[in-house]
Amino acid sequence: MEATVVCIDNSEWTRNGDYAPTRFQAQADAVNLLAGAKTEANPENTVGVLTMAGKSPRVLVTPTPDLGKILNSMQNLDIEGQANLSSAVQIAQLALKHRQNKNQRQRIVIFIGSPIAEDKEKLVKVAKKLKKNNVAVDVVAFGSEETNGDKLESFIGAVNSGDNSHLITVPAGVILSDMLFGTPIFQISGGAGYGAAPGGDAAAGGDAFEFGVDPNMDPELAMALRVSMQEERARQEAATAAAAAADGTAGEAGAGPSVSLAGEGDKATAAPATVDEASPMDEDALLQQALAMSMQVDAGAGGLENAATSAAPSAAAPSASSGVDAGMFDTEDEDLRLALQMSMAGDGAEAGKERQGAVTDVLNDTDYVNSLLGSLPGVDPNDPALQGALASLTKSTDIKEEEEKEDGKDGK
Amino acid sequence: MTDMLDMIDWSCVECLNQNPSRNIGNALKQGYREDDGLYLESDTDDQLLLHIPFTQAVKLHSWAIKSVGTKGHAPRKVKLFINRPSLGFSEATDFPAVQEFELSEDDLEGKPLPLKLVKFQSVNILSIFIEDNQEEEETTQVQKIVLYGSAGEKMNVNEIKKVGEENS
Repeated sequence: MEATVVCIDNSEWTRNGDYAPTRFQAQADAVNLLAGAKTEANPENTVGVLTMAGKSPRVLVTPTPDLGKILNSMQNLDIEGQANLSSAVQIAQLALKHRQNKNQRQRIVIFIGSPIAEDKEKLVKVAKKLKKNNVAVDVVAFGSEETNGDKLESFIGAVNSGDNSHLITVPAGVILSDMLFGTPIFQISGGAGYGAAPGGDAAAGGDAFEFGVDPNMDPELAMALRVSMQEERARQEAATAAAAAADGTAGEAGAGPSVSLAGEGDKATAAPATVDEASPMDEDALLQQALAMSMQVDAGAGGLENAATSAAPSAAAPSASSGVDAGMFDTEDEDLRLALQMSMAGDGAEAGKERQGAVTDVLNDTDYVNSLLGSLPGVDPNDPALQGALASLTKSTDIKEEEEKEDGKDGK
Repeated sequence: MTDMLDMIDWSCVECLNQNPSRNIGNALKQGYREDDGLYLESDTDDQLLLHIPFTQAVKLHSWAIKSVGTKGHAPRKVKLFINRPSLGFSEATDFPAVQEFELSEDDLEGKPLPLKLVKFQSVNILSIFIEDNQEEEETTQVQKIVLYGSAGEKMNVNEIKKVGEENS
């Protein structure tokens, strides 16, 4: 339970527009938000407001639990004169001392956006007095950091007792209230932080729920968030798979000039090896290498292609489809294998040509390939070796067609 | 004459200028106050201001304070005020107290010190202001504070029965 007096800076400096829309308006928004957070954290919390500049500091509203009164008091304030920090703070302390409910802890929140006139010694003296009277102080500094920084640090250092006081310096150009939201000023001690769902199991705090939303309060929103999360995960997985496929393509391309049936085994190792040289191997590359090595033993070309297929199920479709055909010859069922063989012999070559053409098309799309390669860690799309490999791959399409046929024979 | 421990409204007990890790509980609560290793200590300077509210108006007869071990840190000048809920350090220094004590070493061993009985007839809040200590040390330490008195007429609201409850 807490009684808070917020000291706001209404000096001429707060006309400055470096915190949108102006320092004063940004501050007013932050104060409204803070008052809401404080009064909501505990029904017996009270908040008061006083202005520091003008002829003399003025208490706009004595500590009250009524949020309406606080918001109302913030309207139609005059911006005038210079902030008088030390007397304002002492008036705030008096307002806190005469609080109705002695159970409440005392806290002053100072918003300061203008240079402090008082010297450091005077501020420290005031701070000691506040500490002696068990008053905690939070300071929000926005603007004039150079002149105020040192003074405010000594001030907070002197008043801090058991880490109950905080200094928050907000740089220009950000939204003041947004910045303050996650700071200890909004984390009211002993209660749930602001932002936790007010109803239901509010005591558990906002972090207890998956998306910071209580599923019991709004099941549809929670459902929507969950579905959106799943879709995003699926998309990321697809992207990773595409990257893995690109790995394989790059490797194939690297071995391009030596493409031949006898070279298939080398190709298997070449793919991961290229990656190995280029970067510390990521998980996908390792997986691919492992698969390739196990396949090499029994299946040669088909096995390799199959490995690539299983590693890159979705995005690698054009390059993998020929692999699927070859991979099917590993099927245990001998009859089925023969049947497949028969059908493959007929249209396999043509289809293979077509598919190979698709691969070439993809590879000819330089922008796409470059972006794909560029997204891989440690791979330089401008590497001359790689460029040469890509170029030669396009040329070698014819050779590949022959190879496709030979694949069929090999299967027999 | 009984210990007033049960009459203290613990939720509203307040001690200004206490060191948060050596707080008023160490000097006032049963068990804690019997342990000489646990004590109340001041924080920024040697002054302490204790507000002890009671759940109802009580009569106080005497009090005892104990501060042994470090003699220099023991309280010397103590002022007692009654029923001033918003007493601060400046008022406590300037205003005349209901009763003042200059504590000697003998007084600090925890023996009961008599109060002016007529002035402590109806106490809702007792404020103990420790102004300085024996040897002008930086902080003041207090091991134990005991209040003796009587509760007067006791009225427990829970025992009030609705008239004619048996009939209806």
